[in-house]
Amino acid sequence: MIAMLSLIPLVVTLPLLAATVIGLVGKWLPGRGADAAGVGAAATAAILAVVLVVRTGHDILAYWFGGWRPRADGFPVGIGWAVDSIGAAFAAFVLVLLTATLVYSWRYMQDERYLYVVLMLCFGAAMAGFVLSGDIFNMFVFFELLSVSAFALTAYKIEETGALQGSFNFAVVNSIGAFLVVFGIGLLYGRTGRLNLAAIGDTLTSQGRHDGLVVAAFALITCGFLVKSAVVPFHFWLADAYATAPVPVCALFSGVMLELGLYAVARIYWTVFDGALGSFDHPIRDVLLGVGAVTAIVGAVMCGMQRHLKRLLAYSTIAHGGCFLMGIALLDPDALAGAGVYVLSHGLAKVALFMVCGILLVTIGDVDEVRLFGLGRRLRLAAVAWFVAALALAGPPFLGVFTGHALIEDAADKAGYWWVAVVLAFATIGSTGAIVRAGLRVFLGAGDREDALLSRQPSETPEPQEHPRLGLMYGVTLALAAASLAVGALPGLAARAIEAAHTFTDHVGYVHAVLLHETPRAPAPGAWKTTTLSVVWSLVTLGGTFALGFGSVYRDRLPRPVTRGLGAALAPLRAVHSGQIGDYVAWLVAGTAVIGGLFVVAIR
Amino acid sequence: MTILPYLLAVFIFVVGLFGIVTSRNLIHIAVCVSVCQSATYVLLLAIGYRKHGTAPVFGDIPTSRTVVDPIVQALTLTDIVVAVAVSALLLAIALKVYEKKGSLDPRDMAEMKG
Repeated sequence: MIAMLSLIPLVVTLPLLAATVIGLVGKWLPGRGADAAGVGAAATAAILAVVLVVRTGHDILAYWFGGWRPRADGFPVGIGWAVDSIGAAFAAFVLVLLTATLVYSWRYMQDERYLYVVLMLCFGAAMAGFVLSGDIFNMFVFFELLSVSAFALTAYKIEETGALQGSFNFAVVNSIGAFLVVFGIGLLYGRTGRLNLAAIGDTLTSQGRHDGLVVAAFALITCGFLVKSAVVPFHFWLADAYATAPVPVCALFSGVMLELGLYAVARIYWTVFDGALGSFDHPIRDVLLGVGAVTAIVGAVMCGMQRHLKRLLAYSTIAHGGCFLMGIALLDPDALAGAGVYVLSHGLAKVALFMVCGILLVTIGDVDEVRLFGLGRRLRLAAVAWFVAALALAGPPFLGVFTGHALIEDAADKAGYWWVAVVLAFATIGSTGAIVRAGLRVFLGAGDREDALLSRQPSETPEPQEHPRLGLMYGVTLALAAASLAVGALPGLAARAIEAAHTFTDHVGYVHAVLLHETPRAPAPGAWKTTTLSVVWSLVTLGGTFALGFGSVYRDRLPRPVTRGLGAALAPLRAVHSGQIGDYVAWLVAGTAVIGGLFVVAIR
Repeated sequence: MTILPYLLAVFIFVVGLFGIVTSRNLIHIAVCVSVCQSATYVLLLAIGYRKHGTAPVFGDIPTSRTVVDPIVQALTLTDIVVAVAVSALLLAIALKVYEKKGSLDPRDMAEMKG
């Protein structure tokens, strides 16, 4: 057990240490030295994280840095990490995807790369640290480390104006989100005198007050982290950043970074606020469900208007982010388990889709749906990966995102929110339909070359590589696409996720495990059966997705008044996404005021 | 305990936000982000303030003396380190935009929209 505990920090310190060393000596490393070291460090950390997942089981492992364990009365003196199976699984997922993207970058990134490897390792390590930490300020520090690495990675292609715009907007909006979090942390510390999640939660519960200060802290921390997860109206930065960051970076952003903000919201709600605000779960659920639904719908609609493939995938990520938020917002262990399984399948599929964009960039040198019309015909394997990943996102029965969707729908139905299933289906059909449409045009040359509804974007102008070596890139991409489809069918995954979610949402169990080193009681064996209703919803979604995809390649043939009317109806939404940082921050302020205001009204 | 420092923190934050929303200059925006961040320092230090407290360095004072909370000072220091990194990055990007476009106006930088 002791050996097990000392393994916990290694998951994070190993890649950080590797990043430092590569940063120092990278200049003198021969050829692929930096890449090899980066892949090695990431893969080792990923293996350690997988071991951690297996060994954690139903336990919550507390690790105290420097051996500063809590005093006998439970007062935490030191900084502690608390690892449960969801945290460990998330860290493992981050590090596996980091390894995959670094392997992919081996051939993808051409110019001097050791600083890129350094930034990627810092980014991945910070994400892993963020999910393992059990201390709110420690979480904030990792949050900033991962954010600053992400800003720098977005601006990596510094010669392009788009990359500068994306990174600048990303940095400003996310920094303000982080300040909201600091404000919230400050208020919590002022009230409780503690920074450990379990200890804050314990103190808040025993104080038993839910006055303005607690509500303000909850609203500030939640809104701050929702900025990172690009929830409407905090989402504007995301499309700019994703459209311009290098492809492997986008893949990580989309697969895990957005989800990290939602993880923080869930983790902090259940460890810190569940005791004090638990009796207000109904209004909190309504507010967060509403925000999630709006996000899912806006993301799906915006998705249909994109011809820049990376931007299209970015809006699809926003739509799915809204769905994840709805899964968390139900404040129900089964729905949370659904969100977790959903994140796995979506992450793998999105990474594969971004990697296909990268293959298009190195072979043809473009990611514009209209300019690429039919040019992808010779890239058969890329087409396979694209459509397999799209299929996984559509969630056919028992494959891809199906399990996640079904768990969320069942829980929503039980809680009386029948419309959640409708929003999930709408978001999936809208966003995945657009992915299918783009795939049909690019890889099959199907439909019309003209499409007046699509937003024109400035082109990225990378030179395609002269003799691109695609073997490795295809291998990683196809493996991830296949995994995204298969993960939904893993036997026992849903049951295991439900058990983990029960441990995750057990406020008292968490507090006792961290502060008193008690083993939390094992959750009841998770049981879940597919209902006919979820299969029906799945078939509706699948049919709708492909019908929309096949239909919209011909949408220019709709009667003129119809296309013009659609364009006019969507124009205000398009205009709101102005690319102006001032507008984005104004939206952020307004969104925080509205969401915070709703919490204040709801909780009293 | 007076509420004034907390109001001041909110005021500084709002001033910084106003600057970012209305700004027409990238360097000005970077500075406004720092202003916003300063609000968090004021808040943290206000939380740690103790009446008649002195600096929490016990080398030359009796341990019975009232001191201000050292934890929030550590948090503030960490916060400052983060701010330096973010400012450096924002200014570097502003410089690159100026090299490319000959302008620091964020309106000239925004190429992607919709």
